[in-house]
Amino acid sequence: MGSQRIIGGGLGLSEAGPSTHHHHHVPSYGVLHGINSANPSTLINEGHAFNFGELEEAIVLQGVKARNDEGKAPLFTTAPRPAATLEMFPSWPIRFHQTSRGGSKSGGESTDSALSTKTEPPLEAESPMSKKATTPSSLDHQHHLQHDHHDASRIVGPSSSSQNQSQAKSPHEKRKGAGSTSEKPLDAKAYVQQLESSRLKLTQLEQDLQRARSQGLFMDCGGVGGNLSSGGAMFDMEYGRWLEEEQRLMGELRNGVQAAVSEGEMRGIVDGYLSHYDELFRLKSVAAKSDVFHLINGMWTSQAERCFLWIGGFKPSDLITMLIQQLEPLAEQQIMGMYGLRHSSQQAEDALSQGLDQLQQSLVDTIAGGPIVDGVQQMVVAMGKLANLEGFVRQADNLRQQTLHQLCRLLTVRQAARCFIVIGEYYGRLRALSSLWASRPRETLMSDDNSCQTTTDLQMVHPSHHQNHFPSF
Amino acid sequence: MHYQTASWGNYVAASRNNGMVGVGVDPLERIERLASENAVVIFSISSCCMCHAIKRLFCGMGVNPAVHELDEDPLGKDLERALIRLLGTSSVVPVVFIGGKLVGTMDRVMACHINGTLVPLLKEAGALWL
Repeated sequence: MGSQRIIGGGLGLSEAGPSTHHHHHVPSYGVLHGINSANPSTLINEGHAFNFGELEEAIVLQGVKARNDEGKAPLFTTAPRPAATLEMFPSWPIRFHQTSRGGSKSGGESTDSALSTKTEPPLEAESPMSKKATTPSSLDHQHHLQHDHHDASRIVGPSSSSQNQSQAKSPHEKRKGAGSTSEKPLDAKAYVQQLESSRLKLTQLEQDLQRARSQGLFMDCGGVGGNLSSGGAMFDMEYGRWLEEEQRLMGELRNGVQAAVSEGEMRGIVDGYLSHYDELFRLKSVAAKSDVFHLINGMWTSQAERCFLWIGGFKPSDLITMLIQQLEPLAEQQIMGMYGLRHSSQQAEDALSQGLDQLQQSLVDTIAGGPIVDGVQQMVVAMGKLANLEGFVRQADNLRQQTLHQLCRLLTVRQAARCFIVIGEYYGRLRALSSLWASRPRETLMSDDNSCQTTTDLQMVHPSHHQNHFPSF
Repeated sequence: MHYQTASWGNYVAASRNNGMVGVGVDPLERIERLASENAVVIFSISSCCMCHAIKRLFCGMGVNPAVHELDEDPLGKDLERALIRLLGTSSVVPVVFIGGKLVGTMDRVMACHINGTLVPLLKEAGALWL
């Protein structure tokens, strides 16, 4: 029991902690670190090494008002008081036994005074372990501590305890102790820990959400995000639906190829897929009218697709290059046709890219202004030039659409089916790659206080529809 | 869209009585005349970026188009209006004529290029030798 309480000594916890409530996260965390880094092995090995003392100290630090003077007795009998939010240590499990007094009492118990006074018995009982004493007391406290130990060993709390236990990384879970009745302070601590862990979970989820959104993972919650215009949000929603339907059509294509359906039937399936892409281009043209920037910056696509974005979508010549490789074997005539298509597509792409460059240059000239700068006029002219962006996106989509149609004309029906399967799988893999990349474990998250323990949680944050693309592997 | 000289002729006939007479030249007639002067004729506006794109497309293919900048033509406005009437869209430039026949605006030209009909058309008009 001589385990050294680093906390007790160095951090000066004897003073009441910050007077405010749950915003002083750092100090508690600092305390937690201190506690956790201090001889965990000794703490485990101690038969009674339940760090009530540390917990109490932290509680005291956290928001306990200076009510240490309050007697212990009134504490256990008082009616529920308003809970002060304490920043407890999320990783610490709930080691308290849910008392027979029920949750309501524990809810009320989480008051400053309650906790502060509760700190006393454990501290005293573990006097060798604790250098800190709020209100020194007699063996009475020691007796209470025995009870506490026992209670801790029978950690049965409400759902919160299981929730906290799932978070528990600390080794302090081993408890041995003689059985005894539970003590009221434990309810309050349990409840407080429950609140705290819930709050932290909420914060973590919010952060994950923010991270996911910033990474542009598609949210199929209807574009509930600060930066999306309604046009962009609407398009995102429709694109999500389009992707789902595309998966369904991919399934039809695969079935058709495997089941070797008749040519007419296959033609129908291929035409269906083609018209599905036509629908996408129609949606994009509508979206371009309302929010062309949303299309151009590619926030509606996955990250990997966005990386290769060309004027708001895929680059047809790149797609054809990929297809020429994947669709072998092809007849000579078809190969020539594919190369010719790629060549024409490249010429058209170059032309559009150069046109866009000129637009950008012209815009820069307008915005930068000249010697005679008329602000309003300048903006009017600039707005007029920006309006041309929609035309470029439309032409780029037109190019994509024409390319897909021409592909269908060049290939036989079965080859066209295979071609669309290849295209669908290719983009599906790109999307899956983006998801995987976004959720890869990153050790560098340590710098972020709340997330160093939740890296694995981050991996759980996936828009559900991305899962659709894994089956294609 | 399907452009033929016949329907175009109707337009020309219909508009012959329009107000451009005062200037002495019917704009559509002028367009027709300009279009037949070269194998590839582009009506453009010098500040328009899409027009720049289409010019780059033809030059990239080795074609040397004759470009008429409507904003540099004193009667350009009339021509533009006539083209709008002809095509039925408000965003009318760039407009391309090949071999005196109307091909259309940018998306039509691109569609023709992708489906492989543009190059034969150019060769037929004598704009390309391969």
